Amino acid sequence: MIVGGVDIGSTTAKAVVLRGDEIILGTILRVTTKPEHTANLAMEEALKKAGLSSVQELDYVVATGYGRQKTTFANENISEISCHARGAWHVCPSVRTIIDIGGQDCKSMSVTEKGTVAGFEMNDRCAAGTGRFFDVMAKVLTCGYDGISSLQNVSETPAHITSQCSVFAESEVISLVNNDVPLADIITGINLSVAGRAGGLLRRVGVKSDVVMTGGCSRNAGLIHALEKALGVPILMLPVDPQFMGAVGAAVFARDKATAAKAVPVATQPAKEASHGTV
Amino acid sequence: MGLSETSPTFRDLARIAGTLRNPRVDSWKSGGGKVMGYYCSFIPEEIFVAAGLLPFRIRGTGSQGTELADQYYTQVSCTFPRHSFDQALRGEFDFLDGLVVGTSCDTIRHTFDNWKHAGLKTPFTYLLHRPHVTGELQVDYYRRQLEKLKSAVEEHFAARITDEKLWEAIELCDETRRLQQELYALRKVPNPAITGSETVAVMVAGASMPKTDYNAALRTLLAELGTAPGGGKAGAARLMIAGCAHDDPSLCAIVEAEGGIVVTDFTCFGGKVMLESIGPRSGDPLLALARYGVLDRPFCPKIGGAHPMRKQAVLDMVRDFKVDGVIGQVLVSCDPWGGEMFLLKDELKEAGIPMLKFETDYLPSSVGQLTTRVQAFLETVRR
Ligand SMILES: Nc1ncnc2c1ncn2[C@@H]1O[C@H](COP(=O)(O)OP(=O)(O)OP(=O)(O)O)[C@@H](O)[C@H]1O
Ligand SMILES: [Mg+2]
Repeated sequence: MIVGGVDIGSTTAKAVVLRGDEIILGTILRVTTKPEHTANLAMEEALKKAGLSSVQELDYVVATGYGRQKTTFANENISEISCHARGAWHVCPSVRTIIDIGGQDCKSMSVTEKGTVAGFEMNDRCAAGTGRFFDVMAKVLTCGYDGISSLQNVSETPAHITSQCSVFAESEVISLVNNDVPLADIITGINLSVAGRAGGLLRRVGVKSDVVMTGGCSRNAGLIHALEKALGVPILMLPVDPQFMGAVGAAVFARDKATAAKAVPVATQPAKEASHGTV
Repeated sequence: MGLSETSPTFRDLARIAGTLRNPRVDSWKSGGGKVMGYYCSFIPEEIFVAAGLLPFRIRGTGSQGTELADQYYTQVSCTFPRHSFDQALRGEFDFLDGLVVGTSCDTIRHTFDNWKHAGLKTPFTYLLHRPHVTGELQVDYYRRQLEKLKSAVEEHFAARITDEKLWEAIELCDETRRLQQELYALRKVPNPAITGSETVAVMVAGASMPKTDYNAALRTLLAELGTAPGGGKAGAARLMIAGCAHDDPSLCAIVEAEGGIVVTDFTCFGGKVMLESIGPRSGDPLLALARYGVLDRPFCPKIGGAHPMRKQAVLDMVRDFKVDGVIGQVLVSCDPWGGEMFLLKDELKEAGIPMLKFETDYLPSSVGQLTTRVQAFLETVRR
């Protein structure tokens, strides 16, 4: 059985093909202003890597992320919360708590032994403490993601970033820069402030080991370090690129659905809805 | 197919709920009638009805922003009165002949000061002192406050509010509450003929038009719904909305577009305000109103001592309406409901009922995030 999962996030698009137990990752693409087009591009990348030529060769496709409802080639859509939880649990069954920090949202989830969502929390309204925040800071500090992520820049004397809002925090950081505060202190302060917020979201669902991080911000080693410090527990590294976890979960759901559909006699299968076209 | 296609009665009520100054208000005014605006569900409309006035509950329908109102509020005031006061500053409440505000939460209370400070020309303004705790001791005090309100209304509007008229008004409003209860009861079935967002419109209309007309419309609607087929969502997750003032059908619409169905609510424009009646007629009507206003009911969380009643009312609704999950909705900066939700979340958890809590502004912003959460919640509830 070959199925697909596609995650059209606020910032990037990711697609995955699941062939038997083999997880084939596509490429991380920046989203365009047309979600449907973005979804097609992302899926093509994953299909290419799987040596497939058309989405029609897939038995079932599940879409997730902000663009989930606009992904017309998908058979159905499922929320990112369920997908990240399912993906992380699939590649690491000992996981009980997940924090997904993407471009715009920060979500915490607790999962049961069976991989279902037991509880979740999500940031209200603004993009404070998410990828956007880092994007702004990387620009202000002209150090790029590499600078912010680097463990070389973990300092024992971090600056305090008190503001919860990205816009105000930006001006705070500008003041720090102009007061000659060392870069490492500022970067550590930034990571600690995001870790503080993420830690708050995690505590609301309950921090139970193993804890993992998903989403693009999990590439930030400095943030993981800060979060471990804030929570007092280790953050486990997932064996599959954590930025793809939403798409992996979507693909696993797709496999479940396809399997369930195959078990039902053909005559009683619901007809595919008209809106579910093909690429 | 929704009720707006099938029921002219519903269409009429939805139109009334969808604007502030509506055709019923217009015809009332052109017949020489006066309109009394008020904030908060506990304000006794009965006194206004007895004085021959049309009670109109203030809301923010149609507001686009709060630019004019912002200078009058602190950063930590919620957006419900902000929007309606902004509309007042734009002249959209000029049709009111009077305004009664109660000492409920601080933000509503301040709206009274703002209204006067801004020089709005509403001819009659009155601040009703309502005790902040529930209990027998408060009844007599509150009765005296209602007496003062009654005298002020009588004087300004040259009306005589007799006990007989008050009891008639109480009976009329009790009839409204009874019909609304009947409407809610229709939603206890597996496949209700009216959605949550449709119910919001029907409830909001009730505080925006003459009660006699409204009761007649409700009777027609109930007869139609009694024979109507369900909305075709049997098996959908059954949800309840609990929390802040909620006069806009869009939140329910988001939930229902994601595949859930809102079967009841615990909000002050909806299910929370018509749980009991004041009658039957006996003795002093002001005393009856006072008791209804401060004794043993699931009042707004602004009122101390009523949490056990609120908790019980919510749990009763969960049982009676076979609720699968509760959506707790708190307006940003609403402290009373913020604290209440904190308690309620644990209490529901204990009862095995999942809850999705979110903070929002009066106009729901970040609909994308909201939709994600609602969808994820439905996915966990349905399991
Ligand atoms: N190498 C890197 N180091 C640090 N951060 C990175 C790196 N690459 C990407 N990011 C962060 O990852 C973010 C994108 O994450 P992701 O792909 O999970 O977002 P998304 O799924 O589109 O967003 P959302 O889930 O909020 O809708 C970027 O905004 C950026 O801040
Ligand atoms: Mg994402």
